[in-house]
Amino acid sequence: MHPFAFLKTDGHLSSSVAGFLKKLLTDKIADAVLAAAPTPYSLLPMPTLFTDPEQIEKANPLAPAAPFNTARQAASILKHETGKRIALVLRPCEIRALVELTKLKQCVLENTIIIGVKCLGRMENAVYLEASSQNANLTQAFYDDPVLQDRICSSCAICTRFQPVHADISLSVIGMSANESIGLSAETDVGLAVLKQLGFETCDAPEGRKDAVNRLLEKRESAKTAAFEKTRDKTDSIEKFQRYFADCLNCHNCRVACPVCYCRECVFLTDVFAHDPEVLLRRASKKGMVKLPTDTTMFHMTRMAHMAHACVACGHCSSVCPSHIPVADVFIRVAEEIQNLYAYEPGRDLSEAIPLLVFDEGV
Amino acid sequence: MKEFEPKIIAMVCNWCTYTAADLAGTSRLMYPANIRIVRLMCTGMIDQKYILKAFLDGADGVFIGGCHPGDCHYINGNLKAVKRISGVRKLLEQFGFDPARLKLQWIGASEGPEFQRHMTEFVSTVKSMGPNPARDCMIL
Repeated sequence: MHPFAFLKTDGHLSSSVAGFLKKLLTDKIADAVLAAAPTPYSLLPMPTLFTDPEQIEKANPLAPAAPFNTARQAASILKHETGKRIALVLRPCEIRALVELTKLKQCVLENTIIIGVKCLGRMENAVYLEASSQNANLTQAFYDDPVLQDRICSSCAICTRFQPVHADISLSVIGMSANESIGLSAETDVGLAVLKQLGFETCDAPEGRKDAVNRLLEKRESAKTAAFEKTRDKTDSIEKFQRYFADCLNCHNCRVACPVCYCRECVFLTDVFAHDPEVLLRRASKKGMVKLPTDTTMFHMTRMAHMAHACVACGHCSSVCPSHIPVADVFIRVAEEIQNLYAYEPGRDLSEAIPLLVFDEGV
Repeated sequence: MKEFEPKIIAMVCNWCTYTAADLAGTSRLMYPANIRIVRLMCTGMIDQKYILKAFLDGADGVFIGGCHPGDCHYINGNLKAVKRISGVRKLLEQFGFDPARLKLQWIGASEGPEFQRHMTEFVSTVKSMGPNPARDCMIL
């Protein structure tokens, strides 16, 4: 059992969490904090790097929205060691992606404090903006109201890994009444030291919290099984697969949004797929016609072949699709098959090697 | 009705399986003409997309031949191939391709008769599966 502490909210969830982050800066525990915050121009919370304790009062990392998987932004801050200590408030899928990016040598996880959120999910941007226009205190309302919680995006609704792994401290609202207090659990020695420095009294986690987690897990598991079944039915032949992806515009947004698709230059942007007219004419003459741009099916299948082992199931590939193709539904399902094959779970352990990078005579 | 003649792409490594194919040829061993050989320096250079491309363009089978484990000219290229190919096989299976259409076989440089045997066997396996379903639909 991890040491546990209560963070009193007294009906002010967002500002209490912001206050906790503020203390990290004022007590000089962290030199900078990465946390989601709305901008002056929109309510949509964007990943924001704070160094000024006054500014961080605007942070709202528990808002049920995430326009990005912040792992990419986190990795750019952690690209190399700066000598600064950085605290990052991340969702579980973002931490998983950050761990994968660290394995891929895109960043270093030294000198960080990772604050993970036990996550109830995110809404799509448009849903969040609409809901927050009707409720000025949406973040608080979200944790109180199961109806609002059902408005999360489809990938979050089937997420069973909503508890952060690899966090130093986890923020928990599950099984707590968020308008009284939320839980801080110290999952590493670094996390415990931080809580002690901030003057928190640690105790055992309250009764009933585990039950709430298990209930949610059960609900998510059955939703996932049902969703996988549906997606399998829709993609279990090449004909159906193409029907599924037929409206794809080849914009590659899904690849850009993918936190683990890390190549600086994707093969689909190279000359390999910049076909000469002779190639296009030859391909057209093969079946009498060819749809342009070519290689849409190839793109989606290749992305799965290249990255499914590392898919963290964040669902951002669906969220950014201009044709509203549920890319993540099929990606997450296939990823689970591939990850089972390699007995690999992305983000589970920093020391667990990426399966395609170790060579043995097994699978 | 004409018997179904599959088209099979064989991606074989320069050092072992291609040499075995050469040996089969100089030894005048016969094998079906359904195989189209692509010579690569090593099976470790086979990206997953090469296999997907072959299947999406209508290949009925893809055969990958490399050196026996431990014999790779580049130490462990064939072991890289094992990992990638098992993933692609799993992927193809999800979208209705029979995973047996993708075969990986180690054939050493001196194994001309082995090359002949594996080619004959694979052609008859693929023949019994019928045409690749991607042949009949428009590929986007």
